[in-house]
Parts: sequence; structure tokens; C-alpha cells
Amino acid sequence: MSLIDDDMTFAGRDKTAVVGIGQTDFTRNSGRGVLSLATEAALKALADAGLSVEDVDGIVRCGDDVVTPYTLAASLGAKNLTYWADTGPGGVAPCMMMGLAMGAVLSGQAKTVIAFRSLNGRSETRLGAGGQRGVGAEIVGGRGSYDEYFLPYGLMTAGQTFALMTRRHMLEYGTTAEQLGAVAMACRENANRTPHAIMHGKPMSMDDYLASRMISTPLRLFDFCLESDGACAVVITSTERAKDLRKPPVTIRAVAGGAPLDARAGMMFPVVSRHDMTELGGRAAGERLWKRAGVGPSDMSVAQIYDCFTISVILQLEAYGFCGKGEGGAFVESGAIRATGSIPINTGGGHMSEAYVHGMNHIVQAVRQLRGEADMQIPGAELSLVTGGPLPIGSSVVFRKAA
Amino acid sequence: MSYSIQPNTEDRETGPFFAAAAEGRLVFRVCNDCGHATQPPTEHCPWCGGWNTEWRQAQGRGRLHTWTTVTHQIHPDYPTPFTLVVVELDETPDVRLMGRLDGAPVLTAGQPMEVWFEKLNDDVALPQWRPLGRPV
Repeated sequence: MSLIDDDMTFAGRDKTAVVGIGQTDFTRNSGRGVLSLATEAALKALADAGLSVEDVDGIVRCGDDVVTPYTLAASLGAKNLTYWADTGPGGVAPCMMMGLAMGAVLSGQAKTVIAFRSLNGRSETRLGAGGQRGVGAEIVGGRGSYDEYFLPYGLMTAGQTFALMTRRHMLEYGTTAEQLGAVAMACRENANRTPHAIMHGKPMSMDDYLASRMISTPLRLFDFCLESDGACAVVITSTERAKDLRKPPVTIRAVAGGAPLDARAGMMFPVVSRHDMTELGGRAAGERLWKRAGVGPSDMSVAQIYDCFTISVILQLEAYGFCGKGEGGAFVESGAIRATGSIPINTGGGHMSEAYVHGMNHIVQAVRQLRGEADMQIPGAELSLVTGGPLPIGSSVVFRKAA
Repeated sequence: MSYSIQPNTEDRETGPFFAAAAEGRLVFRVCNDCGHATQPPTEHCPWCGGWNTEWRQAQGRGRLHTWTTVTHQIHPDYPTPFTLVVVELDETPDVRLMGRLDGAPVLTAGQPMEVWFEKLNDDVALPQWRPLGRPV
């Protein structure tokens, strides 16, 4: 891959910072609307930063969010909104939101940007049930979605899609159920040291994992992330300004997205046509990210790896260079990803066991680790990777504890 | 069988796939300049950068690439267990298509598969795949 020269001296390196984090309770039924959840998370993030609603002049969101930037601004009473943007689908969004916020701040379009994700992913829109899809007569696909090639067959969910990818990883590399289970168990262990995590107080053994019911072979219930209600928000501003704010700043050292070498039109289902179904856009994202950040995977104190499914963690550990292609199963089985391992992942429990806030809880957790505020704190954490995706494209951030 | 979920057969990029299926033919989009195929189909060829693509008829044979047996019911029209199969066309590794088998059959990666056409209604058919030689 050719990298433009600018990547070697990434203009945004450590120039912007996350100065506030906020989240609602994570539940199975919030009993509230997603706008209220987003508003609560944003207000908490502002309070955490020592900023007020009047400071907010930018809002960025996930393209899947029901709440728009201007509606959130209206709910907040943020009358100085002058910049807003959407980015990407689902799990790709949070890391790219950091990029949008960085761009807005460094270009002078905004000084104080809120990035948020709010969803009632359990009580209202269950992605595991095919999202908002109704059960009545329906014409599906068309208009560039390419869903007409997939939905009429009964391929309706991300879980089924990742099951097809998992089978390929097992066929080609000998990856085992127990190796998938090692990912789920690592996340559960961390959730059990994180009181607000949905699965806190629910230890899980390998036998428990293996006994969980099959959903879509070879994936079991505990290969799947949670479905949950909740919102997360963070506040981004310039690193220079961050020094005067309430909390120790955590800088956005670098951000990078990446497309797979064999990208196909459409959203997640077309991965089945990629020549290599287990190769992610995360590889290109990672190659750029490490150059932009000037550090590599072995420099990370901690990593928040997008865990919609256990296999997605294994594939991303390979894509971002923590281990070789096909070695992800053995890598996670070695204990490397546990709290005491070489690269502790998903230290709040992740989507597997903390909550599913579509990647935003990973951003919040990374900031907590680098402030030294995490419930399960990794001692001396200085750099954290956060990944997003993993379909159809990849996204990533390196955060740094400010010097 | 009758399904409430029907494919959009009138999309400008993909309509010809379903028009052919209604006639019992399987087609895929191929580039006349470089020989690669695009799936999902696009008019522009991302492999060589040309626009000289067209629909070509496939013989209807392929190899099983991967599969999953769905045991968690998502939609009432698709009772579990059923098995989703991904089949790579014999003509090109660039194209893999979906199919659905009832139940949880024993399958092997690479096994030969053949197409058949499931009529959803008088106007719409869906190309489906089954292990070679196995009756519907």
C-alpha cells in the first residue's frame, strides 16, 4: 500500500483531546426515549469537562442514530451549534466521529464538539432480530443496498453473517469453539470487575460458554454481544484548551479508517463474496493508524476491540497486527487479552458483557483507562487502541494520556 | 411456499439478475475487458476501471464455500432450523451467491452444488442451491 507523505507526520497528532465523558445507566429497558438518553449522556460529559451547554458548537453522530445533531442541540439548549456531521454505519462510527471532531476543531469550524451514540437496542430496535424489519409483506433491497441478494434467503442479521465468516476461519486456520470462548470469558471477567456492566455479578466458565445455545452455527449465544439500552457521549476540544479544563486530557493521537482490499458494494452481507472472507478493512486502517500514531501494537497499554461477536475480536487482533493472520485463536487462548496479559482488551466488559452502545462505550472506556479512572484499571496505562467496524469497513483511534 | 419477504426486482443495477431468474437462468455481471466479475453487480469494473461490463449466463454449478445452520428464529417465514449456504460459481471466484437448505444437513467445504429456481410468485423466482444431484 502506498501511504501519502502526510501520514508520516500526521497533522492531527495529539492536537485534539477528549475532555469529558458521560454515559447513562446501561439496561435492558431504559423506559425512556433515545433523545432523553442522548441528552443525559451529553450533559454528563459536559459536566465532567467543566463545560456548559453554551460551549457546545459542534455535534457529530453515528449515521444509524435516530437522534440528529440539531435535535440533540435543541434538547440541550445548545444555541451555538455551528457544525454537525454524520459518519458511517453502526460500529464503524465512533472512531470516525473522533476524526470528524478533530477535523472540525483543527479547521476552526468548532471549538467544542460532542460525539454521541444513543440507542434502545434491547427495548425498541433489536439488531439481533433484524433491526426495524417488520414481519408483514415487504419488498426488500434495491437502491444500492443490495439486500435483495441476501434478505430473501433468510440471511437477516450480523450474527448469521459473522457465523459464515467464523466457519471460514475454522476451516482455514483450525480456530476452535474454546478459542472463541476465550474472548467471551475475558470480557466477562472484566465486566465482573466493573459494577455498571450489565453482566456484572454473573461469572462465566468455559463450560457455561460451551453450554450456551446455538444461535447460528458455529456461533453460540455467548459469542454474541449484548443488546442493551443506553447512551454515551464525549466532548472533544483542542489539546491546548484542554489543559485548562477539569479533567486530565486524553489526546487523540491518531485516527484512521480503512477499506478491505477486496471491497464489495453494499453493507455487511456482501462480505460473503470477498475472496478472503476473514480479511477486514481493519488491516488497512491499522497500517495507516500505526504510521500516523508513530507507535505500534506492542506499545498499547490496553485496547478496546469492537466485539459484536467473539470472532470479530480475533479477526481484528490479526488485522491490527497483534498476531499473524490465522493466529488469532491461539493468541486469545494464550491469555494475552486478559487483564494480566500483554494486551488487555475491553476492560469494562465490552459489548460482550458491559453494554452494546455501538462502539461508544469503548471510547469512554479508553478515556477512563488513560485518566486512571477505570473500575478495572490497568496500572500505568498510557496508550489505548480503539477499533470500530468490523464490516463493511474499519476504523480506529489511538488515544494517549497527555504528557 | 409463500414468503412475505420478496426481493426488489426492479433495481437498475440488479433487476436483470431477477429477470433472468424468473426465466430459469442464472446470470452474473462480468467485465469484458479484464474478465473479472463484480458481485454484488456494478456497472463500473473496480478491477480494471472500465465500463465494459455485461450480464453473462452461468452454467449453474458451484462449490460450497461456507454455511451456517440457523437455530434461532428471526422471521416467521423462515422456520428453524435452516441452513444458509454460500456458493462460489464454477466460472469465477469473484462471485459467491446465497442459498438456503431446509434443516441441518451434513455439508463439506468445497462440495459441488447446483442451482435451482424457487418460484416466490408468478413473477418472481429466487436462484437457490442444493448439493449436486440431491432432489428438491
